[in-house]
Amino acid sequence: MSYKTGVCNFCGTGCGNLIKISDGAITGVFPSPGHPVSKGKLCVRGWHIHELLNSEERITNPLIKKDGSPEKASFEEAISLVAGRLSKYSGDEIAFLGSPRSSNEDNYLLAKLARSVFKCNNISLLSDSGHRNSVDVLMEGAGMPAMLGTIDDIRSADFILVVGTDITKQNPIIGSEIHMAARAGATVVTVSSRKTQIANLSTRHIQARPGSKKTILASLARLVIEENLQDLDFIQKHTEGFEGFANTLGALNLDDVPSLTGVGLDELRDVARCLTKSERAMAFFSSGISGLDRDTIGFIFNLFLAAGKIGKEGCGVNPVTGICNIVGSYDMGVSPDLLPGYRKLQESNVKTFNTEWKTELNAKPGKAVHDLFSAKTPKVKALVVVDHDEEIIRNEEKLKDIEFIVYLGSFTNKFAALADVVLPIPSYVESDGTYTNTERRVQFNAKKFEAKFSVMPAWQLYSKIAEKNSVSWPYKSASDIMTEIAKVVPEYSAISYGKLEKEFGVQWPCDASHEKGTPRLDIQSMKRKLKFVKVPAAYEVQGSTAEFPYVLMTGKANYFWHQNNIMKKTNIPKREYNALLLLYPQGFVEICADDAKKIGVRDRWPVNIISGKGSMKVAARISGDVKPGTAYVPYFVQEMITQFLLEHATAAEGGEDSIIPVKIEKV
Amino acid sequence: MSDNSAYTIVTVPEIAVVDEIKDEIEDVKTFYLSFENKEIEKKFRIRSGQFIMCTIFGAGEFAVSLPPSPENDRFHISVRQVGKVTGALHELKTGDKVGIRGPFGNGFPFEEIKGKNVIYVAGGIGLIPLRSSIMHVLQHRKEFGRIILLYGSRSSKDLMYRYNIDEWLKIDGFETFVTIDREEQGWTGEVGFVHNLIDKAKIPVENTVAFVCGPPVMFNAVIKELLSKGLSEDDIISTLERHMKCGIGKCQHCAIGRTLVCTDGPVYTYRQIKTLGEQI
Amino acid sequence: MFVLQKNQVEKLLLAIKDSYTLYGPMLHEVSGQVLFDEPENVNDLRIDAPISYNPPKNVVFPQFERILSYQYNKNTKEAKIAMDDLLKPKAIVGIRSCDLTGLLAMDRFFMGQEFVDEVYVEHRKKMFIVANTCTSPFEQCFCVCTDSGPSAQEGYDVNLTDIGDSYLFETGSAGGEAMAKKLALPKATAEQEALKKKAVDKSISDFVPMAKENKAWISRVMNRITTGFISNDVWEYIGNQCFECGACSFVCPTCSCFNIEDVNTLDGKTNRLRTWDSCSFEGYTKMAGEHNPRKPVEDRRNKRFFCKLSYSQSKKYLRPGCVGCGRCARVCPGDIGLPNVVTYIRKEISRQV
Repeated sequence: MSYKTGVCNFCGTGCGNLIKISDGAITGVFPSPGHPVSKGKLCVRGWHIHELLNSEERITNPLIKKDGSPEKASFEEAISLVAGRLSKYSGDEIAFLGSPRSSNEDNYLLAKLARSVFKCNNISLLSDSGHRNSVDVLMEGAGMPAMLGTIDDIRSADFILVVGTDITKQNPIIGSEIHMAARAGATVVTVSSRKTQIANLSTRHIQARPGSKKTILASLARLVIEENLQDLDFIQKHTEGFEGFANTLGALNLDDVPSLTGVGLDELRDVARCLTKSERAMAFFSSGISGLDRDTIGFIFNLFLAAGKIGKEGCGVNPVTGICNIVGSYDMGVSPDLLPGYRKLQESNVKTFNTEWKTELNAKPGKAVHDLFSAKTPKVKALVVVDHDEEIIRNEEKLKDIEFIVYLGSFTNKFAALADVVLPIPSYVESDGTYTNTERRVQFNAKKFEAKFSVMPAWQLYSKIAEKNSVSWPYKSASDIMTEIAKVVPEYSAISYGKLEKEFGVQWPCDASHEKGTPRLDIQSMKRKLKFVKVPAAYEVQGSTAEFPYVLMTGKANYFWHQNNIMKKTNIPKREYNALLLLYPQGFVEICADDAKKIGVRDRWPVNIISGKGSMKVAARISGDVKPGTAYVPYFVQEMITQFLLEHATAAEGGEDSIIPVKIEKV
Repeated sequence: MSDNSAYTIVTVPEIAVVDEIKDEIEDVKTFYLSFENKEIEKKFRIRSGQFIMCTIFGAGEFAVSLPPSPENDRFHISVRQVGKVTGALHELKTGDKVGIRGPFGNGFPFEEIKGKNVIYVAGGIGLIPLRSSIMHVLQHRKEFGRIILLYGSRSSKDLMYRYNIDEWLKIDGFETFVTIDREEQGWTGEVGFVHNLIDKAKIPVENTVAFVCGPPVMFNAVIKELLSKGLSEDDIISTLERHMKCGIGKCQHCAIGRTLVCTDGPVYTYRQIKTLGEQI
Repeated sequence: MFVLQKNQVEKLLLAIKDSYTLYGPMLHEVSGQVLFDEPENVNDLRIDAPISYNPPKNVVFPQFERILSYQYNKNTKEAKIAMDDLLKPKAIVGIRSCDLTGLLAMDRFFMGQEFVDEVYVEHRKKMFIVANTCTSPFEQCFCVCTDSGPSAQEGYDVNLTDIGDSYLFETGSAGGEAMAKKLALPKATAEQEALKKKAVDKSISDFVPMAKENKAWISRVMNRITTGFISNDVWEYIGNQCFECGACSFVCPTCSCFNIEDVNTLDGKTNRLRTWDSCSFEGYTKMAGEHNPRKPVEDRRNKRFFCKLSYSQSKKYLRPGCVGCGRCARVCPGDIGLPNVVTYIRKEISRQV
C-alpha cells in the first residue's frame, strides 16, 4: 500500500494523516480514518501538506558565507566552523532559538547541546510569551502544564466555552469537534471581540469590548459565587485557595461590568448558570503567539475550578497550541528557565541533570531570544536559529550586530540569507521523530523516504557539533534519544518507540502508574491539591479616549495560514491566502458600516490610522464582524507589517485582547 | 460551439518564437509570435473572439484573447502586466520562446451578423479582444451595413493600438469616435465617457449588433445607454474574462453561472450574461 | 452468468495482473480501515472489503500528478516539452456500484464533451473493471436514493455478487467473457442466477430509514436547486458551517475540478502539476489583477451542490452528480455532507408546503 501513517505537521491539533508515496515521491495525502484526534478529517492546510513536502524550495547544501555571499561547503567544514566559533563565546553571549516544529528528539538534543556543551541557558522559542502563560497558570493550579482535558471528550461535553480564538480557522479540527458537540446539543459560548466563524456557530456569542475578556471571566466567576452555584463538594475535596479567590473577586463591582465590557449582566448570569448546571464542561483558548495573557487564563482556570469542571470526564481547561510541537518543545526544556520535564533551572534540579548528562550545568536562568532582542543593544554575539519563519527578520537591524549566525532549516527562508553558516535538515517526513500535540499526545512520525539530497537529522548535527567540542553522545537513532528522554522526563517515563509505533500516540503523563497515558488530569492520583491561582484584583479596561475614539485590535485570527513562509511554498493554500488580499493588496482595517459612514469612506477606500506613536495608511474593509468603535488589523499579513505595527509590537504580540487606541481618518 | 474540425493544440503546448515586441501603453506590450514548427504554423487558424493559453517557461500559463484578424494579419497577443506570469512575459526579449495551446472558445459570430450594422464600443484595454473582429469586418466591409467604433480611455496615453486608430480614422465609411475622460493639452478629440458617444454617433438600432468590451463601470453604463436606445439584449455581445487553467472545459475554474467561459464562451450576448447570475 | 468459487478469487486477480496494473480495496495495517490503492502483493487485496475510505477516482484522476514537464534554456533559447511515458493499462477490482457510477459520470465529463481530456484518457484507456455488488449497505450509504446501487448496471467487465460460498460472475464485455473462459468458470444455474435478485432486494431493504426516506426527496431537491427556488437563508446556514477545507470535493467520486501549476525543480526543469481542487475555495475563481466574481462562502457551496444535484449539470454526466457513496459526510468538519444538505432543503420545502 502506498499510504503511510503519519501526523500532520502544521498546527497543534496533531491530526492523523496518510501520506501517499509512489516511486519515492509524495503524491498525495488523505485523512487517517481511525485517528483518535481527527477521526478521518483534515483541514485545508492538512489536505495540502503534500504540496509543501514536494516543494523544491529547499535548503540542499551546507552554506558558509564568504565575503558576504553564501558558498556551498561540506558538512564537515560547516560543522567544524559552527563548533569552533560557538566555543569561543561564553554561555551568556550565545542564544539558541529552537523551533516549535522540530521533533521532541531534535529539541531535546538542542537544549542539551546549549546547556551542557556551551553552558548557555539563552534558549527559547519565539512564541515564548504566549504558551508560557498557559504553562505557568496550569503548573501553579494543577501541576500539569498543558491541556487538562482531551480532544476525544469534546463531543460528549454539554457546555463549551471558547475564549478569543478563531478556532475553526486556527485549529479547524478541534473547531469541528466543538461544532459537532453544538450540533449534538451542547451549549457553546464564545467570548470574542470579533465575530468569528465559531462565534456564528455558537449558541451564544459574547462580543466583548476589546481588552475586556479578563473582566468578563472575572464577572462570570463572581456571578457563580454570588448565586452560590460553585461546586462546594469538589472545592473542599480537591482544591485550596478558594477563599482568597473569592476575596479577589470582591473588588469587582458588578454594576460596572456592562459599561466596562459592553455585555449585560443578565447575559453573563445565564452563562454562569449554564456552566455550573452542566455535567461536562470544557474551556478552549489559543496558546502561543496571540494567545491570552496570564491573568485571563488564570480567571478561566479559577472559574472552571469553582464550577468543579476539572479532572473529570468531559471536563477541562484547554490551551490550544498553534504549532505542531509547542507542547513538546516545552516538555524538552526549550526554555530559558525550565529543564526537560518542566523542572525549574535551579541548583537542586541541576544536580540531577549533571549526573544524567555527565556535565556541569550553568544554574543561572538565561533569557528568551525575544527578550534579548528587546534590549536596545542586545549582548548576544552568536545566534543559532532552527527552522524559523520570517518573524525574526523584524529584528534585522539588531541582527547586523551579531558576529556569528547559524541557521538550520529544511526550506529556503529569508533568514538564511543573514546567516554565516546554513545547515540543511530533513523535512519532517524524511526523518523519524515524535511530536506532542496540544492534548499532550506524543505521536511518532516515521521517516517516509530519503531526502533527494545529502542531509542528516538535526539531532545528528547537534551530536557532531558536541563531538567537535569533545563531548561524545551515544545516539545512533532518534529512538535512542527517546530512551534517554524517558529516563529524565518523568512525564515520558513509560514512552518508547516500540510503544508509539503501534498506536496513534499516548498522552503524557505516561509513567509506571499510567502505562497507557493519561487522557485528562488524573485528580485521584495527584499528590497535591488543585490550587486557585493568584489573579490580580484589578478590572479596569483600557478604552478609547476623546482623542483616539477607536480601539484597534490586532490579531492572527481569520486567515492565519500558519507561518506564511511555509504556506507560501504550497499551491492551493498559498492561493487562498492571497485571495484574502486580492481586494486589499496593501492590507486592510476592518470597521463596521456605521463607523465607515461616520468617517466618510466606503469599502476599499484608503484611511489613515493614527495612534499616539505613529500612523499607517490602509484600505477600509467594511465588515459586520466588528462592533462600532472597534477596528481590526490582521498583523500576520506580512505585506502589512508596517513600521506602525512594529512601534506597537507589544500590543501586536499580545493578541486580540491588547489594544491600541486610535483615530481613523479618510485620506 | 466551436468548430470541431478546426485544429486545436489541446494538452502539450507548441513552441512559438517571439519575433517582435512592441510597447503599447503603460504596462501593455504586444508580442508578435510564430510557431517553431512550420506545419503547425500552417494549420493554426483562429476565429475572432477566441483565446489561447500561453506558457511562459518557468513561470506558468495564462489565458489571453487574440487581437489579430483571422485573415491576413500577423499573429500576436497584447498583454497587460498584472501578475507573476504576465510579468515574466514582459521580461522576454525578441527570440525568446513561449508555449501555445488553443485556440479555444466560441468566438464572435461572423456569418450571423453579415448584412447588419456593427457597433464596437470599447473602453481602455477592452479594445484588445475587439480588434480581431474589427479588422475582420473591415476586410469584408461590403458585407456589412454601417460600421462604427466608439472607443474611450482615461487619457490619450492609455489608448490601445494608437497606430491602428490613426489608420481607422482615415477609412472612409468606418465611423470612428475616440474619447478620453478628461481634457488634456494637445488633445483635440472628444472628451468624456465613452457611453456619451452613443448619442453623438447617432447609432442605428434596427438590424444592428453591438460588441461591448471594457471595465465593469464602463460596461454597465454603455449597456444601459444601448438598451435605452432600443437595442435588444440579444444584439449586444461581449466577451468575458475568467481565471482559466485548462481551456478545454475540464478544470472548471472559469465556471460562471451554469456555463464555462472557456468552452461556452468567452463570447456571450448580454441576455446570456444577465442570466449567468454572477458579477461579470 | 458464471460462478466463481471464493477460493478462485486469487486466480482471477493473478490473471488480471498479467496485463494490467491492479488497484483495489485493501486493509490499512494501523487504522484497520479500507483504502483503495495499488497493492504490493495480490494477496493484500480484499475484494470483499467494505467501501473504501478514499474514492477509487485517484486511479484515473490522481490527487497530484505531473502532466508534462519542460525545460527552457535561456541562453540557447531552446525549449523542450514532453509528456510522461505511456502507462500500462490499469485494472480496478472490487469497485462498488456507487463508485463505478461515479467513474462513468467522470468518463462522460472528461471524454464525452467538446474536448477529450488526454491526460484522463491515458489513465482510463483499456481499463478492466471488476465490480462487486453490495449485499448489505454500509453505514453512510444512500445509493438507493441516487440510482447508483447496490449492484452495478453498466460499465463493468465483470460484476460479482456474493451468494455464499461463491460469487455470481456476470460479464459485461467481451473482455469479461474472455476472462470467464480463461478461468474455465462453470455457467450459473437458473437457481443461482435468481440469488442475485434476492441479494439485491435484501440489500435495499437493509438501508437505514433516512436513506430510504430521502429517496423521493432527492428528485424534489434537484428540482429546487435547478430552478433556484431555495432561499438564501438555507445557503447561508449551510455556508456558515463550511470550514473551506475542500474535503467534500476531494472524496467525491464525481468531483473533477483541478488546479494546474507550473513548478520549477532543483535541476532546472519545470513540472506542470495537475492537482485536485475545490470550488469551495475562495481563491478558486480568483483572477490576476483584482477581481473575484464569486465571493461569499454560501455562493461557493451553492455552486458545488448545484453541480451534484441539478438537471443542468446532469446533462454532462447523463445522471445526477451525486452517487450516494456518503463519503462527504464522513470527512466534513462542518457536518454539511450531502445527506444533511438534502435534509435542510427538504425541511425548507416542507415548511413552505
